[in-house]
Amino acid sequence: MADFLHLLATNSITRVVFFPALASLPLLVLRPQAKRSIKAYGLVVSLVELLLAIGLIATRFQAGTGLLGLRDLSSNGEPITWIARYGIHFDLGIDGVSMPLVLLTALLLPIVLLGSWRGIDKHWKGFTFSLLLLTTGVLGALTALDLFLFYVFWEVMLIPMYLLIGIWGGEQRVYAAVKFFLFTMAGSLLMLVAILWLAITFHDTTGVWSFSYEAFLQLELPLSQQLWLFGAFALAFAIKVPVFPLHTWLPDAHVQAPTGGSVILAGILLKLGTYGFLRFALPLFPHASHQMAPLVITLAIIGILYGALVSWSQDDMKKLVAYSSVAHLGFVMLGIAAVDLIAWQGSVIQMVNHGISTGALFLLVGMLYDRRHTKKFEDFGGLAKVMPWFAFFLVFSTLASVGLPALNGFVGEFLILLGSYRAGLVWPVILATFGVVLAAVYLLKMLYRTLWGPITREENRTLADLSLREILLMAPLCLLMLAIGVAPQPFLAPSKPDLEQVLASYEQALESPPPQSARVRTPTPPHQIAQRTVPEETAR
Amino acid sequence: MNAFAPLPVGDLSSLRPELLLAGMGVLILLLDALLPRWRYLATPLTVAALFGAALASGPPAIAGLQFGGLLEATPLTWMATQIILLTALISVLTAHAYLRREGIFSGEYHALFLWCVVGLILMARARELLTVFLALELLSICLYSLAGFHRRIAIVTEAALKYFVMGAFASAFVLYGVALIYGETGSTRFAAILGQLDSGFASIWPVSLGLVLLLAGFAFKMSLVPFHAWAPDAYQGAPTPFVAFLSVAPKVASAIVLLRVLQVAMAMHGGPDWGQLVAGLSVASMIVGNVLALVQRDIKRMLAYSGIAHMGYLLLPLVTMNADSWRAVLVYLLAYALMNAGAFAVIAILYRQPGEQHLIGEIAGWGYRFPLLGACLTICMLSLGGIPPMLGFLGKYLVFLQAIQTGHLGLVLVGVITSLIGVYYYLRVVYTLYMKAEARAPEGLRVDLAGRSAVVLAAAGTVLLGIWPAPLLEWLMRAIRVL
Repeated sequence: MADFLHLLATNSITRVVFFPALASLPLLVLRPQAKRSIKAYGLVVSLVELLLAIGLIATRFQAGTGLLGLRDLSSNGEPITWIARYGIHFDLGIDGVSMPLVLLTALLLPIVLLGSWRGIDKHWKGFTFSLLLLTTGVLGALTALDLFLFYVFWEVMLIPMYLLIGIWGGEQRVYAAVKFFLFTMAGSLLMLVAILWLAITFHDTTGVWSFSYEAFLQLELPLSQQLWLFGAFALAFAIKVPVFPLHTWLPDAHVQAPTGGSVILAGILLKLGTYGFLRFALPLFPHASHQMAPLVITLAIIGILYGALVSWSQDDMKKLVAYSSVAHLGFVMLGIAAVDLIAWQGSVIQMVNHGISTGALFLLVGMLYDRRHTKKFEDFGGLAKVMPWFAFFLVFSTLASVGLPALNGFVGEFLILLGSYRAGLVWPVILATFGVVLAAVYLLKMLYRTLWGPITREENRTLADLSLREILLMAPLCLLMLAIGVAPQPFLAPSKPDLEQVLASYEQALESPPPQSARVRTPTPPHQIAQRTVPEETAR
Repeated sequence: MNAFAPLPVGDLSSLRPELLLAGMGVLILLLDALLPRWRYLATPLTVAALFGAALASGPPAIAGLQFGGLLEATPLTWMATQIILLTALISVLTAHAYLRREGIFSGEYHALFLWCVVGLILMARARELLTVFLALELLSICLYSLAGFHRRIAIVTEAALKYFVMGAFASAFVLYGVALIYGETGSTRFAAILGQLDSGFASIWPVSLGLVLLLAGFAFKMSLVPFHAWAPDAYQGAPTPFVAFLSVAPKVASAIVLLRVLQVAMAMHGGPDWGQLVAGLSVASMIVGNVLALVQRDIKRMLAYSGIAHMGYLLLPLVTMNADSWRAVLVYLLAYALMNAGAFAVIAILYRQPGEQHLIGEIAGWGYRFPLLGACLTICMLSLGGIPPMLGFLGKYLVFLQAIQTGHLGLVLVGVITSLIGVYYYLRVVYTLYMKAEARAPEGLRVDLAGRSAVVLAAAGTVLLGIWPAPLLEWLMRAIRVL
């Protein structure tokens, strides 16, 4: 406990993770009617959180140190013990894989709050509260290196997101919220069983209880077990991504969620699925994931093409953007399943890209919805004439999303395709390239139907252009799109050494065939494993 | 031991909590009869007695037998006692405003309630079958009368009568089981029965039949499928604050007895496959409880069925018993006590019309009108659904872990799938609270401090123990070594 408080008071991951949750507590005593102070308070908290995150990464993150570089340790140099009996630790760490996503989360929080300024008309207190709790859950899941802790954070994310969709969403919000919750829960419960199985296997082979990620990495499992466990993990993550055919919750959730909810959902929550694959599902079960790679690749390709085609046929802006997420994350999944350094780098950067550009698109749709209370294409047209700023940002974000060179989307997609090709996936790459073309078709259709052509509706003639607030919240996103597109190197470099390391150990694990029965790879790894605090008792 | 020897002081002092509770019951009855104007003091007196009983004995450092081995005091029984007292506290705090509102406040309620607690504690401590039976009867009679406390409402009387008839059957089962076991082994002590079996003097099948009957009797009290049919009706009719108690405390004590019975049964050589039997009860309860809870529109009935399902989860670590089973069961019971009693406490405050339906839709949108109660009910629901970081998740974790470890992955998968169903109907309460337009304005609802503190106690316990369970688990760890 003392160690936890100490970490909370210092420049640590713990502070970045728990600051939003702790800062949400004073909200409880504010009067619900004090809307202005609640909004201001939330914004200040989110900006402080952003500063804390940037400060942490700037001062303590070093590329290439893996998970040992930036890690929350207690005074004795080991992760804090949470539940000693089962070797469960409060163990947070950031490496090159999670770092970009942590920063993205911290960046999107104030933008989401600003973006919801007008759109959210009731229960601001609850909205801010949910959003802050959600941030803690997401950051925790991104940094947790103990699988029990990971699972706890993973579930903690669900409740605030459920509330965000269900309370502030559109007409079908309750249906969408429940569907979202049940889909995610179904996957994660099986993952819980798999985590327990891993811990028990580890305990049976070593006599020590541990849920530590690094401890589980040392575990070599027979292929049949690996396949089942990979299946359980992959299901939980695939639902989150979402991989075709588990995507059906996504359009509902996205379309019904309020703007802020959609941004968080698309920007961050979906990434936890792909992050989970890269962090847990592949390294923990190398043989199984290698064997299942063709399936994952096939589903990823189907996702790319199917998402694009369905997107194309939508008559609702938000649905179009929602389905485009299925397609874009198909690329990320393809890159991950290709198991190639370049493809992985592309996937990591594409996760960030998608968060930024799809987040921006959702924000823009939300701004339009705030003004006109509709998202249908037929209600718009010719908006470029009345809303030049809006048109500028929409074109910019759309082009980034399409993958225009010199903007961020291009970098990610190009690297993924290049890496996958290098890994020998010729046909998938060819098919995925069609996806890029289709993306241009449906996204440009959105531009065409909303911005250009004659103004068909009288109401649209008097629409107000973006306010300063809206411009201010779009500007950082667009600057980032440009920066990543023009000079991707600084964004790629921090994650490269860590990805190399993950890849090397993955391939090393593949070299030896899976054992007949579970065993531990090397003698007990340094400090990651729970000490034997409590001797095993004998059965009564 | 010579039956006529004077009682050792240690034996009597181990009964301090029970004596205190029983004595306070008598005092409250007298108060009600002699000073009717002071009868509202019954609530503080009951609370004081519960606190007194909780503090009367610390956790025993070593396992001790009292009254020549009729009762025992171990860390385990101490823990069970504390859980029962905690539930009683939550229940009695909510009951105060409820009983006054309904105009049925009287000393009898509190007296019966306290004696019921005495029965439960004795049952958890009993190491001998007749003592178990006596305790069972003491608590059952109190429970039957309390269940029908709204005696002017027909449907309540009906529910209480159903409960009574079914309960009488269960008691008869237990008694017949005791008789069979005694007839074959010549003893009613748990410890001696096994010895008799091992020495080969007793044959297995009559004893097995007796044990099955005992199992059935306590499965009834725990409302396990197929002995569950009474629960929804009884819960619906009984005063809601009392349901907070009825749905938890008897299950706690019965689970302890069930553990003892199973311990004897599983140590037996030959006889039926007890693991299979328990697994069957568990799977049936998980499936039937969750599926039927899904279709309920009445929140009390829904929680009744969910309680059935939870007892199914509780049985998972008992399919194959070892020392760790006790820990899993105790943590699960504690979690269940806090979240279920907490949920019923909120319902007791928010719903009027005893005996009528308590439709979930009636509290639509009230999460904003009653922020504190709504938040607490949400916490209890999430905990019942097994969502971290609530204590309910820790319970599920331990139970599943224990079951996987003893090789029952299939059972755990059933548990996982059924808890997904559970999540759906628990969430329905949350979305009714926050995502639906208010259906009606509350009329004449007064939320008193006692009720509010009971609810907060339950919700805070659920969250805090869920986030910081280490001390609890460590303590249980040591406690098991004492056994």
